[in-house]
Amino acid sequence: MKKSVVSKEYQNLQQDILALQENWKKSINPEAIIPKLDKAAMSAGVPAAALASINFEISLFLQWIEEINVLLTQNNPELESKLAEVRTLLNEETAIRWIDEAFSFNSVYFAGFAEENGLEEWIPQFLAETALRPYLQVTAEKIQHEITHAVPGAGCPVCGEPARLAVLEDEGKKVMTCPRCLAHWNAKRIECAHCGNDDHKTIQFLTIEGDASSQIQVCEKCTGYIKVIDTRQYLSKPSPAMLDLNTIHLDFVAQEQGYQVVGEIKQTN
Amino acid sequence: MATEYVKFVDVTKCDGCRACMVACKNWNDLPAEPQDFLGSAQSHTKTTADTWNVLQYIEHENSKGGLDYLFRHSACFHCTDAACEKVCPEDAISYTDFGTVVIDHEKCVGCGYCVNNCPFEVISLKEYVDKNGDKYRKANKCTMCTDRLEEGLQPACVTTCHTGAMQFGDKTAMIQKAEERVKQIKDRYPNAMVYNPQGVGGTHTVYVLAEKPSVYGLPENPKVPTSAVVWKDYAQPIGKMMIGATTMAVVGAFITNTIISKKKNGKNEDGGEHHE
Repeated sequence: MKKSVVSKEYQNLQQDILALQENWKKSINPEAIIPKLDKAAMSAGVPAAALASINFEISLFLQWIEEINVLLTQNNPELESKLAEVRTLLNEETAIRWIDEAFSFNSVYFAGFAEENGLEEWIPQFLAETALRPYLQVTAEKIQHEITHAVPGAGCPVCGEPARLAVLEDEGKKVMTCPRCLAHWNAKRIECAHCGNDDHKTIQFLTIEGDASSQIQVCEKCTGYIKVIDTRQYLSKPSPAMLDLNTIHLDFVAQEQGYQVVGEIKQTN
Repeated sequence: MATEYVKFVDVTKCDGCRACMVACKNWNDLPAEPQDFLGSAQSHTKTTADTWNVLQYIEHENSKGGLDYLFRHSACFHCTDAACEKVCPEDAISYTDFGTVVIDHEKCVGCGYCVNNCPFEVISLKEYVDKNGDKYRKANKCTMCTDRLEEGLQPACVTTCHTGAMQFGDKTAMIQKAEERVKQIKDRYPNAMVYNPQGVGGTHTVYVLAEKPSVYGLPENPKVPTSAVVWKDYAQPIGKMMIGATTMAVVGAFITNTIISKKKNGKNEDGGEHHE
């Protein structure tokens, strides 16, 4: 899709970051990740990556953060002074903490870290998350063959990211994809990824005029939504991460209409 | 420059469902054209100004004496050397970076030269009425959904095809696929061939045909008409030069005449003075 609300510059920066991550994945020792597929835990919605034992190489992690810093500075020289401080703050101990907190997406910790050290709020989590993803993606690649479906409401079965993006394949098969770890799994065409509702009367689709290939699937029961993109119509298939970014206008529309990233069924007495 | 794309139509996979016709009407917002029954399942005899693709239904006796019911999605071929582009006196027809051939309605004067010169007879004129009630005509044909290509989407007909008879992609990859497909179906259709006529420089709709092109009413070896080449490459430039020459002559004559008549006036004035 060429039309996107995201600026060309930001798209290019993201492309560069994705290229870096692809490179980093090659330097990960596949032996360092040992998945433990606990069927009972997974059917209860525990992300597989949380069960796997991942032997993080801290020196690699630190080197990657340095590479992102270089890329960000090249892209915007003004960031140099802000990012320089990260270099002095990061040591092995903090890196281990960052990996842990990024893994569980602990925004509170990162916001606190930024405030304590006088950094801009986005910096710590952005860096940690970007450098963590290659590990998640290699984990997902290793166990992809076991991932066929997800537990409604539990998000991505590999990394736990809230489910929000599906693509259509073949004859209209709905494949949920995770823009974070790139895992994918099958879902019913009429099924809410958040509450499992498959009643066609309460599942609606919002479409944007002039956007022929996207739908927002909303659930009236839990008010959750996901984006459903018919990438079969595309001339070239984008990576899930870029697809998620370029369809961000759908998130705006859905949220303006009162739907949520993670749906919840309200308890009424 | 954008990638050059080709629409690959494998007629042997087509089941004649006509979804491509519907998808085209839908995307391009073209009105329905109700037709009388033509004696077969085919809806329209050929493409028209409001029906940019037509599914052909052909009953054909094959070499073994059996009946083959052949289908073909027919639409603009988007020739590499397009006769319509050559003959257009207003430069209203042009090539895009995708390899598609498109008509600029702002420039089209509805002369109909393109209609007469298209080797595949896919262009038609449509009559419009302006707000003063005056009638004018414009040429219309399939655009290969160039407006979709610009958005990174495949043509509407291709995305709707449920048997996979149509594919859209990089030119060389598509031609290679077509050639492989012909090898696969040779035992079933001995006359099968890739239809990518070189007489018009190759086309951007490439077919795998089950039978000879003539069975489908297609020219065996379509060419850009010689008259079209003569027109575009010789007559038109010379014609424009001629316009220049005549204009110069007229302007020149005007200037000379003015000077001469001034002189005459002067003489008359002189004469007047003499008279006094």
